[in-house]
Amino acid sequence: MQDRPTTSFHFLAAFATGGLLSLMVLFNGTLAAYGSLFYASWVPHLTGTFAALLFLLLLRPARASGTRPPLWAYLGGISGGITVMLTSATLNSALALSGTIALGLAGQMLFSLFADMRGLFGLPQRMPVSRDIAAVVLVIGGSLILIFFGGGA
Amino acid sequence: MIVYAVLAVLAGILVSLSRQINGRLALSTSAMESSFWNHLVGLVFITLAALVFGGLFAGAPLASPWWAYLGGTVGVIFIAMGSWLIQRIGAAQTALMIIAGQMVSGVVLDVAMGAPGNLWARIAGVGLILAGMIVAQTGKRSIRQVPAEAQR
Repeated sequence: MQDRPTTSFHFLAAFATGGLLSLMVLFNGTLAAYGSLFYASWVPHLTGTFAALLFLLLLRPARASGTRPPLWAYLGGISGGITVMLTSATLNSALALSGTIALGLAGQMLFSLFADMRGLFGLPQRMPVSRDIAAVVLVIGGSLILIFFGGGA
Repeated sequence: MIVYAVLAVLAGILVSLSRQINGRLALSTSAMESSFWNHLVGLVFITLAALVFGGLFAGAPLASPWWAYLGGTVGVIFIAMGSWLIQRIGAAQTALMIIAGQMVSGVVLDVAMGAPGNLWARIAGVGLILAGMIVAQTGKRSIRQVPAEAQR
């Protein structure tokens, strides 16, 4: 057991990253309004591949230790691609957008907690404390209020 | 109905799974390189799926405004940030703070664009989320951190 230093900077960075997600939903959602859901996922992956290549060439980030990553570590993009297909199916069901988002948040949060507790995929193991659970309840509770009651009504 | 509910939960699990796999790749490479592979592999996968199911260019995709094409560039930074954060604050904290940021910025965008909405629900929702963020990062906590090397 050790004390974890306060990580306010990381928290704020993650909060800002969530803001990027809102922009992506706006941009990609606009594409989907004109084209197909496949197109709205295909285009950002295509432009993103070139953007990432450009960033790598410009920034030349330091590469971690010479150990080679396992092959499965390259397959994160497949998981993201399947997500698009699943949500395109549930969006058109009785769940609609609000139900899809709410259940997706639940799945994401519970699996993240599980992964931390088990230290899955070679990432550091972390046991949540009661304060962490309280934070989850508050943030998810507030999110559900926004999803189900915050929209036009 | 229950099938769709399971699929929606599964979609959320896959979001988390994808961030963990990319985070693992970033441990051996870099956050931006993990974002590159995520986009390239995802592109190949979606292209194959579109070839199987068809309809990639259905509708009038070229009629969309030019700025709608910026999502990919924003996504590259989003994925890289996720890979960078997950090794530092863990999967749960990363997911929680990204959700908080998405929800609050969504309200800000809605208000800025004049989208109709319930004022009191927005105040209550944003208030609870901000309270949760304060709870999450105040106070010292004892946690067990096992280095990645010891996991294998």
